[in-house]
Amino acid sequence: MAILLLLPALALVAGVFLWPLLRYGWLSLQASSVLTGLVPVPNGGANWQRLLADGRFWQDAAQTLRFAGLSLALELLLGLALALLLHRPLPRRGLVRAVVLLPWALPTTVMALGWRWILNDPFGPLNGLLQSLGLPAYGFLSQPATTWLFTVLADVWKTTPFVALLLLAGLQAIPSELEEALRLEGAGPWQRLRRLTLPLLAPYLLLAALFRLAQALGVFDLIQVLTGSGPASSTESLALYAYLNAMRFLDFGYAATLMLGMFAVVLGLSALVLLAQALRRRLAEMAP
Amino acid sequence: MTTAGLHCEQLSRRVGDRLLLDGLSLSVAPGESLALLGPSGCGKTTTLRLLAGLDPVSGGRIRLDGEDVTHSPAGERQVAMVFQSYALYPHLSVLANLELGLEVRRVPAPERRRRIAEVLALLQLEGLERRRPAQLSGGQRQRVALARALLRQPRLMLLDEPMSNLDAQLRDQLRPELRALLHRAGHPVIHVTHDQQEAMGLADRIAVLEGGVLQQVGTPQELYHRPANLFVARFLGRPGINLLAGEAGVQLAIRPEQLRLVESGGLPARLLRREWQGSQQLLWLDTSRGELLLLAAADLTPGEQLQVTWKPDDELRFSSASGERLA
Amino acid sequence: MPTALPLLAALTWSLLPLLWQLLTSLRTPEALVLQGPSAWLQGWTLANYRQVLQGDPPFWRYLFNSCLVGAASTGLTLLLAIPAAYGLQRQRPALRGGISLLLLAAAMFPYVLLFLALLELARALSWGNQLLALALPYAGLSLPLAVLLLRAAFADLPAELEDAARLEGLNLWQRLHRVLLPLLAPAIASTAILVFLFSWNEYPIALTWISRNDLLTLPVAMARIAGSSVYAVPYGAFAAATVLGGLPLLALVLVFQRQIVSGLTQGAVKG
Repeated sequence: MAILLLLPALALVAGVFLWPLLRYGWLSLQASSVLTGLVPVPNGGANWQRLLADGRFWQDAAQTLRFAGLSLALELLLGLALALLLHRPLPRRGLVRAVVLLPWALPTTVMALGWRWILNDPFGPLNGLLQSLGLPAYGFLSQPATTWLFTVLADVWKTTPFVALLLLAGLQAIPSELEEALRLEGAGPWQRLRRLTLPLLAPYLLLAALFRLAQALGVFDLIQVLTGSGPASSTESLALYAYLNAMRFLDFGYAATLMLGMFAVVLGLSALVLLAQALRRRLAEMAP
Repeated sequence: MTTAGLHCEQLSRRVGDRLLLDGLSLSVAPGESLALLGPSGCGKTTTLRLLAGLDPVSGGRIRLDGEDVTHSPAGERQVAMVFQSYALYPHLSVLANLELGLEVRRVPAPERRRRIAEVLALLQLEGLERRRPAQLSGGQRQRVALARALLRQPRLMLLDEPMSNLDAQLRDQLRPELRALLHRAGHPVIHVTHDQQEAMGLADRIAVLEGGVLQQVGTPQELYHRPANLFVARFLGRPGINLLAGEAGVQLAIRPEQLRLVESGGLPARLLRREWQGSQQLLWLDTSRGELLLLAAADLTPGEQLQVTWKPDDELRFSSASGERLA
Repeated sequence: MPTALPLLAALTWSLLPLLWQLLTSLRTPEALVLQGPSAWLQGWTLANYRQVLQGDPPFWRYLFNSCLVGAASTGLTLLLAIPAAYGLQRQRPALRGGISLLLLAAAMFPYVLLFLALLELARALSWGNQLLALALPYAGLSLPLAVLLLRAAFADLPAELEDAARLEGLNLWQRLHRVLLPLLAPAIASTAILVFLFSWNEYPIALTWISRNDLLTLPVAMARIAGSSVYAVPYGAFAAATVLGGLPLLALVLVFQRQIVSGLTQGAVKG
């Protein structure tokens, strides 16, 4: 009886999540592009062979990884700091939280456009600041070597509040007696953080890390609006490459293969994070 | 056998491979109050939920006023229950709490008002109609829960630990009131508790459950003086019954108030410690037949070496193997 | 460690980019490229807003589209998620745990991966350029989190409340409608806000399903403004658009801050 109430929702979820993956599995074994008149024609593993030999795929994978890695590290660090700050008794707590939350709530494309102006060369405020310090203007969005750092900046700005709130929930779940007990034993703030808060926060950190990792590996809106993959494709992510193949080159077979390749990357890295966590816990248990 | 009241036969509940209740047979007459007593996990709440229809029965039958309700849905049994937490709807006023059930059972509005006014008067809840449950004291909440149960015009009234959310003083005060109310209503009452004092104060008869099995059912006096087995003997009575080393295969037991101190001719005992309780005092004695508890007058100042005795008639004899009481 | 300084830093970090947009939106194009302190005395204008609001289609049209899609998605999600959450809570623990884990994985999934197959689906069913059709994928994408949040809320209600209602003869619909849902109102509000925010901000699916100019949702319209040459060096107009596009969210966050925080933190606790 109760399962009947679940079924409509599960059916829609399966339709939206499961069906595409199955469909990609099939499409990735077809040639389906302008060359075939967009009619799927089985081509064995040709798409997969192409993927393995596709330098652009591997380069985008590396670019996506470096973007996700740095974003994740900064977001966890800043998110933790922000959560510790919000956990203190603050004046106008509600208003402070609302303000801090704002970047997360705004549409990514809206703020990506905003960042494009802030990073503008030479008229944006950041360059204005550099120039007023007597420094030359910098092409924040036109230097292939460094532009990706500013995509990370925009991403960190937007998603740190989300991480902070997750961790805040974790902080609030720690009974204050525990910290008070440790304090009575003479532990300072740093020791309390290291010995008590962080270990108890570990599940929340793990959850935030997994969630943010998956989302960062799928980065799309931000890059498309902020840099349009440029300069010289130096900020192109896997999702953008797949999008390009599907919508610009109309190569659905290969786009589907790219999606699955990306899924494999997400799955593999998530598994790695979980494995590392399990290993860390096992080591901690084995330690005397 | 009369058909009025509650009769259950061989009632069982199994979840997976765990037997929560094993073949319970009980009858409760209209106007009679039965307490289900036992330690936590003994199956008493399980029994209540089976009778209410909240959990499915795995075996056996339940008959209410002659009607087989074993598999009827909870809403159709006309069984009322006062829950341990009282389960008052927190978003509704006292009035709306009482009215919701009548409304869904399509009782016409004038009759609803009349019946609610009656029960409010009976339970002295007038003036609280507009309050939310959170704005009531513990005792008031209990009475609202009771009022809601009475409005159900139940064929069977169930109470799950009705006193456990009240402080000790209030409990002593409310017990007689609740007993009077339940007796007046004229339906069978079953109430679950782990507190023997509450069971003795509220119930005409007590059923002791342990491990999903009914150990004994009877009046409080019967259970206290003629326990069916060692479990019942040890479970009832505070301070607990003394177990004595006896002959092979027999376990002797004697209640602390039946032990007496004598000048000579008794069992030699050494005083280990004592606990003063106001109206009396409790002595811990070390004897050759094991450690014994003795209830003595509060003003006594015992020496260290004592002698203790008891009437052989007061001894309870149990089989060491089965725990059953021997005649 | 003092609180004031880090707090100030956090607020500045969050607000400064937004304030800069507001400032930019009120400046003429000439003023934007001026240097030096004297530049602040002149060049203030509302022309950027006029330009954005009088565009074709006018900007409020995008806001309306996003509102419509957000409302429809939120409604559909709640309609499916509430019974599902109740049903999930009533399952055996093993099955419940399994389904919850799958839902959690789905909630984390980088859904941008799904757009191609969903686009094929939309084409096959002629759902392209139908605003309300977007509610289906949006509900599907929001359901995992919504069901998990509401399931946790159902689990927090004392089971005895529903038992009491059953004994009084309330059927499932009456129990939900009269007893359980009123008590879940805060959790439902939190869930609704999160779903609405997601639908409001969603980009890749709206981008590929909607091509007609007057049907675009706000995020896609913003991206199109960014990519178009209609507004030449139009940073003032960009900024006016970001302010207008951000204002509804600003209002939403200020009003529903508590629900958003509790929704997110509930999500964390049950996870």
